[in-house]
Amino acid sequence: MAMEQTKKFISSVDIRARIKAAEKFNEVFEKVVKAVLNCEEPRLVIPKRTLSNTIYDKEKGLLLLGPATFERSFLDVKEARKFMQTLLMAKIIYDALINNEYPTIRDLFYRGKHSIRYRDHKGRVEEENTWDEQKESDSVLRDIEVLVNLLREEMLILSKEKGKVVGDMRIRSGDDVIDLSKMGHGAYAIEPTPDLIEFIDVNAEFVLVVEKDAVFQQLHRAGFWKKYRAILVTSAGQPDRATRRFVRRLNEELKLPVYILTDADPYGWYIYSVFKIGSITLSYESERLATPKAKFLGVSMTDIFGDKNKKPYLSESERRNFIIKAKKTDIKRAQELLNYEWFKTEKWSKEINIFLQKQSKLEIEALTGKGLHFLMDTYIPMKIQTQDFIE
Amino acid sequence: MSTAEKFRSISPAEFFYRNKEIAGFANPARALYQSVRELVENALDATDSHGILPEISISIDRDPNKTYVYRITVKDNGIGVPENYVPDAFGRVLFSSKYVLRQTRGLFGLGAKMVILYGQITVGEPAEIVSATINSKKIYKYKIMIDIKENKPIVLEKSWWPNKTSWHGTIVKVAIEGDWGKARQKVLEYVKRTAIVTPYANIVFRTPDGEIKIYQRVVDKLPPPPRETKPHPHGIDLEMLKAMISETKTQTLLDFLSEEFQGVGRVLAERFITKNNFDPNANPKTLSKDDLEKLVRALKEFNEFRKPRSDHLSPIGSDLIKIGLSSILKPEFVDAITRKPIVYEGHSMIVEVGIAYGGAIEPVEEPLLLRFANKIPLLYDEKSDVAWKVVSENIDWGYYDIVFPAPIAILVHVCGTKIPYKGVGKESIAEVPILENEIEEGVRHVARSLKLYLARKQKEEEAARKAITLIKYIPEIASALVVFAKSNPEPVNVETLESKLFELVKNRFRDSLKNISSPRDVVLSVE
Repeated sequence: MAMEQTKKFISSVDIRARIKAAEKFNEVFEKVVKAVLNCEEPRLVIPKRTLSNTIYDKEKGLLLLGPATFERSFLDVKEARKFMQTLLMAKIIYDALINNEYPTIRDLFYRGKHSIRYRDHKGRVEEENTWDEQKESDSVLRDIEVLVNLLREEMLILSKEKGKVVGDMRIRSGDDVIDLSKMGHGAYAIEPTPDLIEFIDVNAEFVLVVEKDAVFQQLHRAGFWKKYRAILVTSAGQPDRATRRFVRRLNEELKLPVYILTDADPYGWYIYSVFKIGSITLSYESERLATPKAKFLGVSMTDIFGDKNKKPYLSESERRNFIIKAKKTDIKRAQELLNYEWFKTEKWSKEINIFLQKQSKLEIEALTGKGLHFLMDTYIPMKIQTQDFIE
Repeated sequence: MSTAEKFRSISPAEFFYRNKEIAGFANPARALYQSVRELVENALDATDSHGILPEISISIDRDPNKTYVYRITVKDNGIGVPENYVPDAFGRVLFSSKYVLRQTRGLFGLGAKMVILYGQITVGEPAEIVSATINSKKIYKYKIMIDIKENKPIVLEKSWWPNKTSWHGTIVKVAIEGDWGKARQKVLEYVKRTAIVTPYANIVFRTPDGEIKIYQRVVDKLPPPPRETKPHPHGIDLEMLKAMISETKTQTLLDFLSEEFQGVGRVLAERFITKNNFDPNANPKTLSKDDLEKLVRALKEFNEFRKPRSDHLSPIGSDLIKIGLSSILKPEFVDAITRKPIVYEGHSMIVEVGIAYGGAIEPVEEPLLLRFANKIPLLYDEKSDVAWKVVSENIDWGYYDIVFPAPIAILVHVCGTKIPYKGVGKESIAEVPILENEIEEGVRHVARSLKLYLARKQKEEEAARKAITLIKYIPEIASALVVFAKSNPEPVNVETLESKLFELVKNRFRDSLKNISSPRDVVLSVE
């Protein structure tokens, strides 16, 4: 009864998503039930989520999951625990789906964690937890995503949102229409299930993704997106899945070019590559989350130091004010990046090598330090106009 | 059933009175131990050597007033001692059974007499003997002391009553000076080890502290009784030869050699005499001391005699050793082997080795060694015994996958008509190479079978561990699967899924799930 009451307030979009996901779960796990009832070995065939099965697809410019799969069988001693965890996780997610709940991955961890008391082969009473740390439950969640071929968002699993967006566009979220140009000083927090968002109309020429929330707020309040007809997005650090998916949809469905602005250091470059190509741990989602056409607008090493046919944006004295010495970890990270297939381009090699040579980095704030308007009215527009970016 | 024992005196009681240490009566504690031992061994010899399943009861009582005085009572259901033999059997220091050889428990042929003698010296009470032979209409009771100077019994009292219950056996009660506090551990250990090699006996032991130890008979099978045998020419010495000659009825050396020895027939006797230039018709009783010495040497050196026989020996047998070790030590694994007879200086010997592992045995730093000679436990001088050398030096236990501390006991039994003891105490056996080798082979044999057992057990444990690794997850998996079983035409419940999953595990690990019949035998409720 209470459930019926609740249902009235739930958006139809969510209900449709739930039915679709529950059907997929049934399809996959009914097979396991049948195997058990027929006294056959219950197995799950799961695509491998390892670096060795992560393929960089040059054509699409994406990190994709390869064709390799592995079998997780209940009767395999080494896999039995994982098998149990996978089924336990499947049950929890399925229960949440049909009970109209919105668990977070932390909720899933707590719902499934409990003790198994058993007598070992020597008769001693032992205790073991279904899982001990969230690492374990997160890992089987990923297995389930590739096994049933659904992203967690499609299973109505929520994650903490940190991405924000403003701009001249209208969207439908749930059963409401939201005008992203009327967010006041705030911004629209990109919902954890961006696939359930419907784009109604848009008036913009490009998307600018800013790594840092503080820089996003300055540009927003200075009216950057109105002045330059942009959709302004921030990932507030490492981008979460929802922000990545949202940016991808803006690019793919609305055909808006996407420019990404980060600090000039290996961490900033990696944030860009997560947007563009995907992350290694989540390669199976790249196909839906990554934006292969995203462009690295800056801040690049040549913006700071210049090169033979480019004047630097900073004078020598300004440079001295803002440059930070690279740490050991920065150097190590930069060397790792050199090994990644998708950084093995002429422009990136140059970029990374300048960094390794100068051993210096710079934050975006350095440019606002030179004046917010320098960033807004000189740096960004000029970089776009002169096509001074890395694709 | 054998006939009554024949007895013959060998030396004055006085000699042993002056040399009581030799017989094991050095101090009150050792004397108490030795007394129990002598009486128990007599009791066993009176039963199992005659085909009777032993019923032995031992009790030691402390005198309420004189705390150093202990009264030992040992009762058996043996063949009993004939009425007219009782005084001599208990009151004259004797040597049993002519010059024939037999594997008996008694070490010195003194047994009870020494106990009575010692009791008489230290406390001064007469010994009480109650006995009835098989089918005897009467039960006799004697009170006896020993005339030390004369080496003869003094009968203080003799009575009898009708044997209404057809009882047979002997009860001996002696008061001696002892020290239970110091002797306790050894006496208890002695009785326990005796029980190990006589699993066919009922033994009840009441200590001065009122503790009662009961060792129940676990098997009705007796080892074959030892039989008498003639001496082998390689195993005699000058004294023995003289004794044999004084007893023999033969008139010629040829007859003497071919009739009084084993392994010597007429043909071999003639060949031996010819080879050594003896006179075949000489009457052995007329031989000079020189002749006798020459004869002993020649007999020892002549190597064409048939090997000494061993069919008169009475090993315990590997079955009884296994049963005994199992019932007393309660291990998880036992094995035993009776080796083929060996010959040492004209006497045959048989070595038996048993092994017990795990279960109720406490882990120890070195193997627990249970030594026996002619079925008697040897408790003293362990470190100088050949068996100790074998288990502590010769064997590399690591080779048999034994890592100390380990719950392991090794039983070594040597039986024979003459055992090469070390020293006068006869508590340890000398390191005779042939014997050492034999013990080592025996230990290796049982150690190999332990190794096999452990390997198999480890394999089974590993399989059981694996099976349980799976089974413990069954309830969890079943309760998840039941959620996805809705579309099944037949309704499916958790129990069905649990039992199906259990079937799957059972088919994979068939042999290792002996005592698990459902996942609920493994998975317990968390509350």
